[in-house]
Amino acid sequence: MSGATTPVIHVDGVSRWFGPVVAVADVTFNVMPGITGLLGPNGAGKTTLLRMITGLADVSSGTIRVFGERVRDNAPLYRRIGVMSEHETVYGFMKGRDFVRAMASMRGVPDIERAVDRAVEMVDLADAQHRPMDTYSRGMRQRMRLAGMLVHEPELLILDEPLNGADPRQRVQFKALLKRLAADGKTIVLSSHILEEVEELADTVLLIVNGKLAAAGGFRAIRAALNQRPYHVRVLCDAPRKLAAEVCSLPSVDAVKFDPDGALILLSRNVTDLQIELPKLAQTAKIRMHRVEPLDDSLESVFGYLVEG
Amino acid sequence: MLAVYQITLRQLTGKWRLLIMAALAGMPVAITTMMLSSSRSPRVEEFEMVVLNTMLSGSIIPLVVLAIGGAAFANETEDRTLANLTLTPLPRWKIVWAKLLGVISVAGPFIGLSAFFTGYIAFLGDPTATIAITASAVAGLVLYGAFFTWLGLKTTYAIGAGLMYIMLWEGFITGFVSGARVLSIRHYAVSWMHVLDPRRFPNVEHPAVASVVAISAIAFAGFVWLSVRRLRKMDIP
Repeated sequence: MSGATTPVIHVDGVSRWFGPVVAVADVTFNVMPGITGLLGPNGAGKTTLLRMITGLADVSSGTIRVFGERVRDNAPLYRRIGVMSEHETVYGFMKGRDFVRAMASMRGVPDIERAVDRAVEMVDLADAQHRPMDTYSRGMRQRMRLAGMLVHEPELLILDEPLNGADPRQRVQFKALLKRLAADGKTIVLSSHILEEVEELADTVLLIVNGKLAAAGGFRAIRAALNQRPYHVRVLCDAPRKLAAEVCSLPSVDAVKFDPDGALILLSRNVTDLQIELPKLAQTAKIRMHRVEPLDDSLESVFGYLVEG
Repeated sequence: MLAVYQITLRQLTGKWRLLIMAALAGMPVAITTMMLSSSRSPRVEEFEMVVLNTMLSGSIIPLVVLAIGGAAFANETEDRTLANLTLTPLPRWKIVWAKLLGVISVAGPFIGLSAFFTGYIAFLGDPTATIAITASAVAGLVLYGAFFTWLGLKTTYAIGAGLMYIMLWEGFITGFVSGARVLSIRHYAVSWMHVLDPRRFPNVEHPAVASVVAISAIAFAGFVWLSVRRLRKMDIP
């Protein structure tokens, strides 16, 4: 077992190119236990990176270690890894239960039937397990694939766009399951281009843009690393022009502008001080503030900055 | 390994595929029956060249095995299900072996029965000739199976490449260039027939049993090794 400080996945200077196209360029990071989100726009290189981490694709340069071992051409390591790729890799002619049973058999699970029962129940598909998988909805196939991935109780789960095709209810269940697995000590790496998913699930975010690692760390840590760009704070009040004139004197405010609705937008590199100074100023100037909201405290805005940058 | 074998069997036994296999396998039997019922029965050498060598070993067996063996991995590659097999602790040689066994299991009955009845009808139930022809066909099945299974891993155009191989190499070049027969599965297969029934097929210089066994084993092992190597090195879609 890996110790707390030993990375489960170590990616060191990894690049991958296809002819003249560089899909992944000199990426280095570690993945620790918990949920790590691999985030980036379509075509950013997320899938290529995950394929290299899982050993499905080779690296052009650099090294990847999983549990301290090379992953490529290292079949025994897959006893500890579960992978769910982006594509619907199911055999439509098989019944759901037979699929999970086959996955268990190939992974050398000792008590197959019990393991299959557990995995199928975990994804809440016990009722549908005896139906051929080509009669399933896409979300059901995704969940049965997840059961196939979980049946050997891997320590590391790698999921590429796992919520594709899932309806809102299934998304909630899926997220709850992933959180439960993470709480049980599993290491989970999931990719997504849907920012809310990653923001909600992941302890750590790896932002991939144009094949490069644009940022890594906790969501707020990433945002803090971008402190050369000011936060946008939207202020709704009864006298926005008067407040604009007043806030220019505050050292925590870098710039002031108005949005098309007439609301005041403050740009600040020091939001901590702004939170203290702004209410005092409004009180002194007798301006009533209705609402103060940060505009870029979501992963969407951080991601937008990085892509623009 | 059993799970891979079972999945392979299910993948390769589509209704249309089996119907085509059955039609192809029935052709040598039908042709033999027609030849024997005509007013001028062929000589053994003529029958061997036309039916056993050119038709059975040079066309029917490779076509049947290509349709099965070429799809063994190509189906998984096209459907992107190959990762289900490779993301497991199974050694790559076990995956290849299970696939190859699946190919032989599906194609075997068609080829075995076709060769058996062709030999039985042609040589009026003579057991030695019938066994020699059947064994030769099975040897061809195993060798072509290993070759086309590898081809299905090597290229997504396995069927096209296999047809070119059957027509150009086995059907044309090795028929005219005797040196090329050293690399001809068709001639390896036919050699088994000569070795097992030299009395019936006397007009060729019989290869030694040891050399037929050795060259077949080398060819088979070579293609299996290439498949395993390919599966280990390739990027899995």
